[in-house]
Amino acid sequence: MATVVLPETAEPTVTIGLSPGRIAWRRFKRNRTGVFCFFVSATFFIIAATAPLISLAYGKNAHERYGYRLLDASGYPPPPTGGMSPEFWLGIEPGLGRDVFMQLVFGIRTSLAIALIATVGLMLIGITVGIAAGYLGGRTDYWAGRVIDVLLAFPSQLMLIALVPVVDSMLVGPEEATPTWLRFATLCIVLTALGWAGSARILRSQVLSLREREFVEAAKVSGASPARIIFREILPNLWSPIIVLATWQLPILVGVEAGLGFLGVGLGPDVPDWGRMFLEGVQYYHLDFPYLLWPGLAMLIFIVCFNLMGDAIRDALDPKTKGL
Amino acid sequence: MRNRALAVLAAGALVLAGCAKGGGAPRSQATQPPPMPTATSESKVATIRVGGAADSQGPATEVSGAKRGGTITGLFSVGPAHLDPGQIYYSDQSQIAGLISRGLIGFKQQRDGNILIVGDLATDTGTSGDGGKTWTFTLKDGVKWEDGSPITSEDVKWSFERLYDPVINQGPTYVQQWLVGSKDYRAKYPGPYKGGEGLKTIETPDARTVVFHLDKQHGDFNMALGMPGYAIVPKKHTQDVKDEKNYDKRPHASGPYRIVKHTPDKSMEMERNPHWDAATDPIRNAYPDRWTFEFGVTVQQATDRFIADSGEDQYAVNIFGLGPERLPEVVADPELMKRAITGITPFTEYWAINTKRITDPKVREALIKAWPMGAIHKLAGGDMGFGYLGTTIMSPTGVGFRKFDVWGQLDKPDGDVEAARKLLAEAGEQNPTIVYAYANRPLQQKIAVLVQEALTKAGFTYVGKEIDANSWGDTIGQVDKAIDVHRSGWGADWPDGQTVLPPLFDGRLVADGASNYSNYDNPEVNKAIDEADKLATAEERGAAWSKIDEMIVKDAALIPGFYLTYIDMRGSKVWAEMDYYWGGTNLLTAYVNE
Repeated sequence: MATVVLPETAEPTVTIGLSPGRIAWRRFKRNRTGVFCFFVSATFFIIAATAPLISLAYGKNAHERYGYRLLDASGYPPPPTGGMSPEFWLGIEPGLGRDVFMQLVFGIRTSLAIALIATVGLMLIGITVGIAAGYLGGRTDYWAGRVIDVLLAFPSQLMLIALVPVVDSMLVGPEEATPTWLRFATLCIVLTALGWAGSARILRSQVLSLREREFVEAAKVSGASPARIIFREILPNLWSPIIVLATWQLPILVGVEAGLGFLGVGLGPDVPDWGRMFLEGVQYYHLDFPYLLWPGLAMLIFIVCFNLMGDAIRDALDPKTKGL
Repeated sequence: MRNRALAVLAAGALVLAGCAKGGGAPRSQATQPPPMPTATSESKVATIRVGGAADSQGPATEVSGAKRGGTITGLFSVGPAHLDPGQIYYSDQSQIAGLISRGLIGFKQQRDGNILIVGDLATDTGTSGDGGKTWTFTLKDGVKWEDGSPITSEDVKWSFERLYDPVINQGPTYVQQWLVGSKDYRAKYPGPYKGGEGLKTIETPDARTVVFHLDKQHGDFNMALGMPGYAIVPKKHTQDVKDEKNYDKRPHASGPYRIVKHTPDKSMEMERNPHWDAATDPIRNAYPDRWTFEFGVTVQQATDRFIADSGEDQYAVNIFGLGPERLPEVVADPELMKRAITGITPFTEYWAINTKRITDPKVREALIKAWPMGAIHKLAGGDMGFGYLGTTIMSPTGVGFRKFDVWGQLDKPDGDVEAARKLLAEAGEQNPTIVYAYANRPLQQKIAVLVQEALTKAGFTYVGKEIDANSWGDTIGQVDKAIDVHRSGWGADWPDGQTVLPPLFDGRLVADGASNYSNYDNPEVNKAIDEADKLATAEERGAAWSKIDEMIVKDAALIPGFYLTYIDMRGSKVWAEMDYYWGGTNLLTAYVNE
């Protein structure tokens, strides 16, 4: 990293007075890759959030089979572009004839929503359990550790495949369709419930080392309450691993959600789904490569950018990073 | 119900494939349906009828250009679980067993693709007395086992007697019931292995004549005997019931090939049976000198090897169909299509309408009118990748098949929303709710999208019920299921309507776990079924079954669906055609073509 030249006018005292957060922010801003990736990732979230508006502007929705007439006798769009045209920007979905661009936009919305909710959920549980186990130690730590062991040994995809039909039959009457929100909730809850163990274990080990540090002992000696020690002394030191874990979890969950959609326990075929699109593309790629390309490319860009952004944030938060 | 090997299962599967081949070849010229190899081009099907004594004489009609000699390799995804004729029921086992074992009756595919039911070991298709209660068969002169000893009426009698022993438990069970007049046939006769007398209802007046006395009239008895499960075994080699496991792996041959070596689920080798006389066999051409089989090659691996066509694979065939992932690539390539084997199968798909819940025929009719047949057809892979649009219950490969289109499904394959709306108005139903159940598999889920769209447009209230694929069979088999419409499939055991219509639509057979998925009970149809079953000749029966077929379709007890097709490939140095009876690659007429 280039040497930082401070403006002549800046007083040295100003630099010294910067809070760790501001230092991190400055560091992050200087990491061009990080900033670029931040904007790309943000674009994905904006696309997801404004999907209905995009649909309005584009003039098509995700469920109507606009391009059905253009498919050939065995359900393939015209080669070699997969039916790409000014009318269908990214082509036509083979088999059903829906618009690929709209499928992708709404699919990103579905996948990101589930991944985001599950990431927030599992990080909250992970942080709580991790800190509790690490700080309290003893019996709490032992039992939390065993629960984590069990969860880590659990094949979560298999669990979902087994669980979704059970939840459906428990909560949905035999003559009702499973509402989309129920599937959505089931997926979020199960992904959260089965996914927090890894983060909890990592955070616990961090807390274990922090617990013995002087500043924590000092706080204890000065009579601080456990709540204050946890929230004011330990938690601020955990932000860096928490952010790294979260930025690492989210793309993984996008992938997991994709797999579930394909295994038949996702959101059903009438709800556009990024992951299912990609996996279906694999089936059609021999003759309709664009149908694999667009969701694949979008997923690749998103996961790489999101991970790089996470890296940049970690670097910015790490006091050992060179530079200001 | 026969199992359509693995093709149907595989169609729903997805296998991650290797490197991408962008763009793809132009496919427009190749997506036309293959010409149907039949004399009756109007009905687009191969017909089946009963042949006479002259048709039953060997040798089999030569395939023009065929040569003798060489070795053909089978690249099969699974090995035959059974080869003892008594244990054989599924198509894949039956096709392999056809090379080794012979029965009294067989199905002879003619050069034009039409099928004749002929005497195989018997001189003709049998003589029936008492309107189909007594059946007499005469064995051909000169038919021998692989050790050179003659096949006698004693062997025939024995072959049926041993089916009563509990050790034989995988094959068909029809004839056993007819011979003793009881569904619980093992209680009536314990089989020959425990000592005691033989079965009195089979007589052997001399070494070449067998007489069967049945419980009642069975005009299609000879067709039932065509099932490979009723092929004949040698008495002297199957005397010891403890030896059954070994015999099941290496049966004694009466057909053109005998097994040299068989490692179950791994490989098998067969060589010519020197005592098989082509002059006695009207069905099997048996051109190659040897067969080798490689088991455990998935359909996709097999397809990739056919596409690559290198080395030994140039001499290969398969009976399990193309890997669905490769289907479009093969169909798009005229060079590969030259080595394709395609045609119609005896399997059908349809949608059962639960007549217990939807009692108003007008509403059922509206469902049929609204159904998006054309879109489903396209989605599933079209004529070549899936099947032809069907309008009947019986497959075109059933005897007596007659084409009719009661609901005009062929004219308006994408449904007739107006007509459906009108019917609903006539029925006085405001947006009736339809619970549509489907398995949670990609293809079925996408079909559900089409169904939802079509039914909603027509004024139904659609409720989609996704069911875990593992409990699918149990769920739809319940009489009191909370389902209005669901897909189903069927394959006839032999080409008589008796193996199709009664199991699916006889009201007296409505029961949990039974196959009357429509819960259909119409006294008129029940009566007609009884009457049809009393008829003696295949043609009379066929015509009667076809009438019942139309009655049921007119009553809108189902949404007729598709006649499924088969597509597969062969190596460049082997020739093979479609087997219209089994719905696979014909092993009996294949030859090495160098």
